[in-house]
Amino acid sequence: MREHFTSRWGLIISVVGIAVGTGNIWRFPRIVAANGGGSFLIPWVVFLWSIPLIMTEFAIGKMTRYGTIGSFAVLVGKKFAWMGTFVGFVATAIMFYYSVVAGWCIRYFILAGTGQLLNSPDHESTWNSFVDSRWQPILFHFITISTGALIVKRGVVNGIEKANRFLIPALLSLLVLSCLRAITLPGAAKGLAYLFTPDFSALLNYKVWLQALTQNAWDTGAGWGLILTYAVYMRKKEDISLNAALIGLGNNSVSLLVAITIFSTVFALIPERAADVLNTSGPANTGLTFIWIPQLFSIIPGGDLFSAFFFLALAFAALSSLIAMIELSTRVLMDMNISRNSALLGVYLVTLVLGIPSALSMEFFLNQDWTWGIALMLSGAFMAFAVLKYGVHRFRGEQLNFPESDLHVGRWYGFLMRFAIPAQVFVLITWWFAQVIQADPEHWWNPFAEESVGTCFFQWTLVISIFLAANRTIVGRTLRKERA
Amino acid sequence: MSFLSILMMVLVLTIVWGGFLLSLLVAIRKERQK
Repeated sequence: MREHFTSRWGLIISVVGIAVGTGNIWRFPRIVAANGGGSFLIPWVVFLWSIPLIMTEFAIGKMTRYGTIGSFAVLVGKKFAWMGTFVGFVATAIMFYYSVVAGWCIRYFILAGTGQLLNSPDHESTWNSFVDSRWQPILFHFITISTGALIVKRGVVNGIEKANRFLIPALLSLLVLSCLRAITLPGAAKGLAYLFTPDFSALLNYKVWLQALTQNAWDTGAGWGLILTYAVYMRKKEDISLNAALIGLGNNSVSLLVAITIFSTVFALIPERAADVLNTSGPANTGLTFIWIPQLFSIIPGGDLFSAFFFLALAFAALSSLIAMIELSTRVLMDMNISRNSALLGVYLVTLVLGIPSALSMEFFLNQDWTWGIALMLSGAFMAFAVLKYGVHRFRGEQLNFPESDLHVGRWYGFLMRFAIPAQVFVLITWWFAQVIQADPEHWWNPFAEESVGTCFFQWTLVISIFLAANRTIVGRTLRKERA
Repeated sequence: MSFLSILMMVLVLTIVWGGFLLSLLVAIRKERQK
């Protein structure tokens, strides 16, 4: 018999665990800084389009009670199941390297907790020697994926829900404590002023709007298939619309809390270099987190404790998202009549092996982050397509506005699904590709380049061709009647 | 901080944190009614 989340709060806290990840902590503050501070916040607040996508995922999972492949087969038709396979694969491909990222966070928590991090004379070489050691990233990747798999093995209620009931309140407490410490630093007001002062001329720059769209598209975990997977375990009469609003706004609340912390700290401690530091990108946005944050904490009284807090919060955020990725892949295999334990063992072993290249090579890591990060936009578009094919009015009436709904979803949902989300996906993918072509006009087509249009098309075409060719077999296995 | 920054801070925090807290309160109320 299938498990269900024990309560509304168990479900919400678990989905918040998906939404709040490392992107809130290390990407959001940097993107805000790079796009004019306060000016960026205006479009960022306007584009809360992730909420209808969260609703869509909830409704599809709850309606079909299948993982990504079965959901698409049931909702849109068997011949479109390859789209669900693609959505599931993208989240799985991200899981391979996300486990490595979570491992970095755990390593830095240990370094901070044992006092070794702040004693280091040069934080850049600490980071480089960690990454270049090769065995350390692999070891911490193993530790992370093993921890995640052990949590998922205990099931939805005793594993995922129980872990999130600890991880998320602990994460929020650590972030609130760090924020309180940051805003009480002398000079923190300068950071707040930078964060909240709007430069209205920056709003004329289309890049600010596109970055705000991108941040909202990537940040909440909407369109990944992860929320859809947790929705399989929703109670029958569970609300969707209010829960989705709560999760979308909760995720953005955390982003804002982190931005206040980072801006206050950086401006209080190194006001003359603050803007440069906040713009430090580094591989996968790690520059600010792993190089500058330790330097900043080494100046604050009690920095040892707060750096340990910060990296523990980061590790918790990463782990709560990672367990959702493990559950997604496991659910897809369980739909094929494989037992939970066997499916999980398969996912664990494959991730253990396929995470190694990202742990060993930063170039490979960046290539995967680029290729599958952009592919998430396609996943979002496939979700919107599924709703349109099913009939957007029918979907809204049957799946969102059912008698137990706490909020009525209006006609705006249809507009967003029909026009706004497809337009957003088209504009963003075109813009990201245009940037790459402009930056590297000679190699943008190269399928083996680190970040190129060619590598995206090569890898996407390869997996979509395989999924199309194997569609009938995959659907046949997935839509069998007896399922765990 | 200038008046504009404070105004912007209040607006953004009201929409994002206020929206979150309002949704949370509504959800708690709805849950109690069930």
